[in-house]
This record gives sequence, C-alpha cells and structure tokens, in this order.
Amino acid sequence: MFQVYLPIAEISVNLLVMLGLGAAVGFLSGMFGVGGGFLLTPLLMFSGIPPAIAVATGANQIVGTSVSGTLAQWRRGNVDVRMGFVLIAGGVVGALAGVLLLGLLRQIGQSGLIISLTYVAFLGVIGTLMLWESLRVIRKRRAGKSTPPRSGQHNWIHGLPFKMRFPQSRLYISAIPPLAIGAVAGLLASFLGVGGGFIMVPAMIYLLRMPTNIVIGTSIFQIIFVTAIVTLLHATLNHTLDLLLAFILVAGGVIGGQFGVRAGHRFKGEQLRAMLAVVVLAVALRLLLDLVLKPAELYSLVPLSGA
Amino acid sequence: MRTTLVAILFALPLTAAVAGSPHPEEVQADISTREISIQSDFTGIEILIFGSVDFSHAPPDQSGYDVIVVIRGPSEPIVVRQKHRVAGIWVNGPGKIFASPPGFYAVLSSRPFRAIASDKMLKELGIGLSNVDFGRYTLGDPREESYRSAMIRLRKEEGLFQEHDDGVSFIGRSLFRATVDLPVNVPIGRYTSDVYLFRDGVLLSKKQSTLAVSKVGFERVLYLLAFQHPFIYGLLAVILAVLAGLAGWFAFRRD
Repeated sequence: MFQVYLPIAEISVNLLVMLGLGAAVGFLSGMFGVGGGFLLTPLLMFSGIPPAIAVATGANQIVGTSVSGTLAQWRRGNVDVRMGFVLIAGGVVGALAGVLLLGLLRQIGQSGLIISLTYVAFLGVIGTLMLWESLRVIRKRRAGKSTPPRSGQHNWIHGLPFKMRFPQSRLYISAIPPLAIGAVAGLLASFLGVGGGFIMVPAMIYLLRMPTNIVIGTSIFQIIFVTAIVTLLHATLNHTLDLLLAFILVAGGVIGGQFGVRAGHRFKGEQLRAMLAVVVLAVALRLLLDLVLKPAELYSLVPLSGA
Repeated sequence: MRTTLVAILFALPLTAAVAGSPHPEEVQADISTREISIQSDFTGIEILIFGSVDFSHAPPDQSGYDVIVVIRGPSEPIVVRQKHRVAGIWVNGPGKIFASPPGFYAVLSSRPFRAIASDKMLKELGIGLSNVDFGRYTLGDPREESYRSAMIRLRKEEGLFQEHDDGVSFIGRSLFRATVDLPVNVPIGRYTSDVYLFRDGVLLSKKQSTLAVSKVGFERVLYLLAFQHPFIYGLLAVILAVLAGLAGWFAFRRD
C-alpha cells in the first residue's frame, strides 16, 4: 500500500512517509528561514536512500520549498534583493568548488567520512553559539533589561573596500564579506547537500549585523539559486538526482513551508534562534554518535561506478 | 591465447558431459515471465521456473533424478569496504574490488545441492554461493575471504543472493517447478536461468533460458533522460521544483 518505486534510487519507498518527511522539513524551513537540507539529507539516508542520491535530491527539494518560502517572506518585505544577488554571485563560485572537492574525496573513498565530520563540526559550533547567544538575550529580557541596539556599531568589516549601499538592510558595507559568506554557503550546498542557511543566517546576523527578519528572507532567496545550480551540477556530473523522489518531497515541503512561516511569526527572533540551535545540536549529536559508536555492520558494498 | 586455451580446457568436461550426451535423459525448462517490467508500483516479483525430465529414451525403471536451478543477474564491479577504528572514529578502509560479482544469484535444488553432485563438479559449474566467480580475487588470502563472505552476507540480507535446498519440487516423476523472489532492488539487465539435471551425481542434461528485467513507461523515460540527457533532466527537475513552490504559495496564501 502506497509503495512507490524510485527509478534512479532503485528502491521502493512509502509515499506517505516521504510526503511527511518533505512536509516536516518544509515546516522548519519556513519557520527558521533555513533550507532544511541539513535535516533532510541525513533523514533520507536513514530511510535507506543512497547518500549520493540523498544529497542531490535534497538540493532539488530545497529549490521548491525555498521558492514558496521566499514568496511568503517577500510579501512581508523581508527580502533584500541587492544583498541577495551579491550572495548568489559568491554562491555560484562556492558551489563549483564544492563539486570539485567532492569529486576528489570520492576518488579516495572518504567522502562519507569527511561529509559527516564537516557536518558535526559546523552544526556543533554554530548550534552552541546560537543557543548561548539567544539564551542570554532571553534571560536579559526576562530580567527587564533592554537589549543594546546593534545596528550602527562598527567592527573590522567596516574598514574593507568596495563599499555598497544596502538600503533595505540599512547597511553601507563592503561587498567582500557578503561575497565570502555566499561562497562558503555555496561550497557547503554542493558538498553537504544543504541550502547553507544554517551558516548564512548566523553570519549575516553576527558579522554583517543585518536585522534578523531580513536575514531570513534574504538567505532563503539566495538558497533558491544556489540549490538550483547544485541540482544541475549533480544531475549532469553524477546522475544522482531522483526526480520522482524530489517531486514527492517538494509536494510535502511546500505545504509544510507555508505553515512554518506562520508558526515562525508567533515567536521572537531570539526564541526562534534558540529553537533552531536545539535542532541543529540534535542533528550534530546524532551524526557524532554514528561516527563514534561501533557500527552494527562493519562492511559496506558500493558499486565501483557509483558514488 | 592463454585464456582461450584455459577456456577450452575448462569447458571440455562439460561438453563431454552434456553435448556429447551419452545419457538418454533430457531436461526441458522455461520461465513463467520472459520480461519483467519495473514500474512505479514495483515491490519485487515472484518468478516460476518450470520444466520436465524427458526420460522416454531411458531404460524403463530409471529414477532418482535431481534438479538444480541457478539464476544469475548481470554483474557489476563492487567495492567492499571494512570500517576500522582510527582515533575513536570509525573510518572506511581502502576496500577490495570484486570485478564481476553477479547482481543477483539464486540456487534452488530438489534436495541439498551439496548432496546432489561432488564439490568439484559444483565448483566447475559455479553452483552455490561459495563457488560463484566474483572476478579478480585470490582464494588463498584469508583477509580477502572475509571480504568475500561479507559481500555474500550483505547481499543475502538484501535478498539478492539466495540458496534454497528445497526450492525445486517434483510433481510426479517428470514435472518440476521452482519459484524465486526477485526483490525490489534487483538490477536491470539480462538474467540467465540454468537448469541442471543430475542422477547419482552425474550431470545428464542442461537447459538455459533467459529473462530480461527492464524499466518501462514513466520510469524508463526518466531513467533514460537522467543518463542520456542529464542537463535537460536536471533543468526539468529545477523547473518542476520552482512550479511546485509557486503552486504551493498560491494554493495556501490566505489574502
């Protein structure tokens, strides 16, 4: 009942489980403004989808949820298009570099290990920082103190050249930091099969000092374009994209995404950051346990031609 | 040159046993489905191999026939890796490559096949998981043997390797049937079914049939597009995702 055969993954999956998976990840995506790939890719692998197909198909699913997520954010005036295009320019370069890097690692058979370690390192550090920062703000607010205004503060970033004006974010800063942030996000997008929101959102909040709501709208806008390029690269170079699976996940994802955006508006910025931090840390912990605990099966079979 | 010589030497006892046919008995067999189509509702399939022993030219009171059926799927090079603990983390080792293990392999027999024929005969015919040729490997190296047994164990768990000692059942003296389950993850390609007829450990007759597993319809179109026009396929995926995102937005906005 409800079993569907996936033509590229060459396995049969339950339609309702995959729809639910897409919806759950779409909900988080709309709520936090992240692509959700850092959850979707491991969850797909846990459901028996081969890792390479999980990465490529996950990227394609993020394209769909990001489109509806961006439209929802757009109507609230949360997308800084000018900033978005600077991030995309960096993202394209990063995505190409990620595909080349993944190809090299695959040749020596260690892509899975390096991907897991990178996940654990990034998610662990970012989750801890976000949790610590947001709890501090929440505690201060409970104590009745007002949070110090952050915009207008100067740091080393304001000393860099090629300054651009970003009226919507009320910023006048160098184009170099957003380009670099976009490139790192693009690298992670193609290398880990994620949207890269989990690194872009904190980087824009803490380094660029953009307002949180505009950060969320702008990062999800950038994710559309970068994941679209990543999808094309994986489909063309690795043949690892399962269109049927992607379509099922997208269908679930767009529905979940709309509810996520609404749910997100019930909470304050620091509350959202604290919740996202807990989810990020949970995924990092799970991946770390998989690396450290003795696996039930020590051997694995991989087709020589495949990933 | 050397390989042809080896092949000829290797084939000699078989041809002597079968083609020369000093035995009056013959086996006839076929498969219920010659073409297996994989569509979106595919969850695996059971195929039936049936046949009969023609002993009309044999002395009247001959009996005790044994049948072994071997089904082989298309082979593909496989890397088998073993995880080792390095600095507290489980890391894949360099791995061993098997050049041509079959993607599917099943042995069905009317009684335990090791009792039907000698080990030497079974090895020559490649009958039984311990006798399958996986391509390049050395039997002497015990570490390789652990990789080989890991491959057999993992494939057995997936239902891709099977051994059924009572898989062939006789209906009366002459007719026999055997069923085998092809799981959902069967590789596509050409399969062969070899039916061997034995009596008292002697190979009397052999019959080969073939079977094709292929994707059809929507699944075939997607599969071909993905491998022959990957850029168009990727572009199609992106466009579909964008359209689905737009549709979701228009369907669910409240104002």
